[in-house]
Amino acid sequence: MSLAEGADDSLYRKEAKVYPRDVNGTFASLRRLAMVLLLGLYYLIPWVNWSGHQSVLFDLPARKFYIFGITFWPQDFIYLALMLIIAGLSLFFFTAVAGRLWCGFACPQTVWTEVFLLMERFIEGDRNKRMKLDASPWNSNKVVRKLTKQFLWVLFALWTGFTFVGFFTPIRELGQSVMGLQLGSWETFWLLFYSLATYGNAGILREQVCKYMCPYARFQSAMFDKDTLVIAYDESRGEPRGGRSKSDSPAKKGLGDCINCTLCVQVCPTGIDIREGLQIECIACAACIDMCDQVMDKMDYEKGLIRYTTEHVLSGGVTRVFRPRIWVYGVLLLALIVGLAWSVNHRVLLRADLLRDRNALYRELPDERIENVYTLKLINMDFKPHRYRIETDNDDMLLLVSPQLELEPEQVGSFILRIQAPANAGRGSVEVNVTFSTEDEPVIKRTVNTRFLLPFE
Amino acid sequence: MNTEHPVYRRWSMRQRDWAVVFWIAFLSAAAGAFVLFGLINPLDMIGNWAAEYDIGVRLAYGLAFAFLYLLCLLACSLTMFMIRTGPQRGHARGEGRRPRPEIHDPAKNNPDLDDEDWQ
Repeated sequence: MSLAEGADDSLYRKEAKVYPRDVNGTFASLRRLAMVLLLGLYYLIPWVNWSGHQSVLFDLPARKFYIFGITFWPQDFIYLALMLIIAGLSLFFFTAVAGRLWCGFACPQTVWTEVFLLMERFIEGDRNKRMKLDASPWNSNKVVRKLTKQFLWVLFALWTGFTFVGFFTPIRELGQSVMGLQLGSWETFWLLFYSLATYGNAGILREQVCKYMCPYARFQSAMFDKDTLVIAYDESRGEPRGGRSKSDSPAKKGLGDCINCTLCVQVCPTGIDIREGLQIECIACAACIDMCDQVMDKMDYEKGLIRYTTEHVLSGGVTRVFRPRIWVYGVLLLALIVGLAWSVNHRVLLRADLLRDRNALYRELPDERIENVYTLKLINMDFKPHRYRIETDNDDMLLLVSPQLELEPEQVGSFILRIQAPANAGRGSVEVNVTFSTEDEPVIKRTVNTRFLLPFE
Repeated sequence: MNTEHPVYRRWSMRQRDWAVVFWIAFLSAAAGAFVLFGLINPLDMIGNWAAEYDIGVRLAYGLAFAFLYLLCLLACSLTMFMIRTGPQRGHARGEGRRPRPEIHDPAKNNPDLDDEDWQ
């Protein structure tokens, strides 16, 4: 007999399926609100137009990112880096203040799992009904319910994948391609890939992602201290736990406030018992708080046996919110957000690059003037067409450009710029500042520094 | 014969893990650089903005390799971190896992909870 055949000698212990019970309450409402808000933004934003473009569109082939009326070019990479730093610092800041706020309320894994669970509950019923259905033999009722659930899940996953691709390809054109069955191969791949990822993560894997795959759960403890908000069971008040009737006096029975109904375990999406203490699997969704408060209400006990609290409070101390790490994270975060906003607001909507002609250092003209040739690359980052002026700080120099410096909105133009100077303008290399400005908006102005080469002798 | 003598200069497990991270990241970056630059000229990737710095081909290869090495180092370090902090040997057999929490009918020993749909 192989080891796998005997139940007790099995090489592997299967992960028990978690059937989270539905719960209502303050935090459940907040979680649903976050879900509606975040998923609403995700599914609707691509359909909203802003300044003549899709409000958020990452146009990779054109190398332009449209974000609410601002076009970011590859040259604006610094903004992306800043935004990533701000996102990272926000995670540090909010984790230090309020624990795993991100995991419980805003993480895509949590949010999409919540939607998939909603569909599951709608079709198969709440926890006990789902458990009974899974344990029952296959019959017409089970087949219909399972198929309907799978159909809804697949449909929702496909819509999610479609929306994801819609952030990279204009979503209206994408919709027409889908309807006309003319989707490109890469779009098809990414649509199916993201749909499968959504289905797999939110429908099948669920809490396994948080327990085994997510790195954030592993290093969050580095951001926690004794003043960080965590969800905790008040052991001193709850123990010893035990069942009782409402009319019983806990003191006389020698019991704490926990009636050991195990409802806090039944509502937990990761299937843990919060009464065992803070665990890495706890995603701080606060479902156990809502459930325990309802039970405490029913028993006419004070709420808050399971609550948001800190280690300091549980050990009889006081929570200190404004501690050094909060100040450091907060000040850095604020400075970066203000810096980014200021920088984006003062961004010059013109980019200019001057590239020296490498074939000839300089050319002597018949009238004894010296000429240097450059390739000028101008990018009009504005949504309006512009005509540009060109000037230099050196009055002896003559600037000749062809063709005329006119660019359509968001156009990249390549021009030939010739700079001519008298032979006595200097020897070797002379620094030149060339300034480009629009004729209609003086704010749009860019100065480029380059070198003008002359004979050395 | 006494065989229990200290072995000097033996690396700790953590040091060996880091050595593996650096070495595997180097091999991956080297393989990646070979494949990438077999297909693409690095100077084409740099774009016009770098022209004024006059980056030569060798420096472009070097910079690109350094970038690839950094990415591979990040991936390898995160993998090491996930393995070191993840389930330990025997986890699949159930070793080291917390026993499943006890769950029962909420109304068991709690008669006041029997009016809910908790059955």
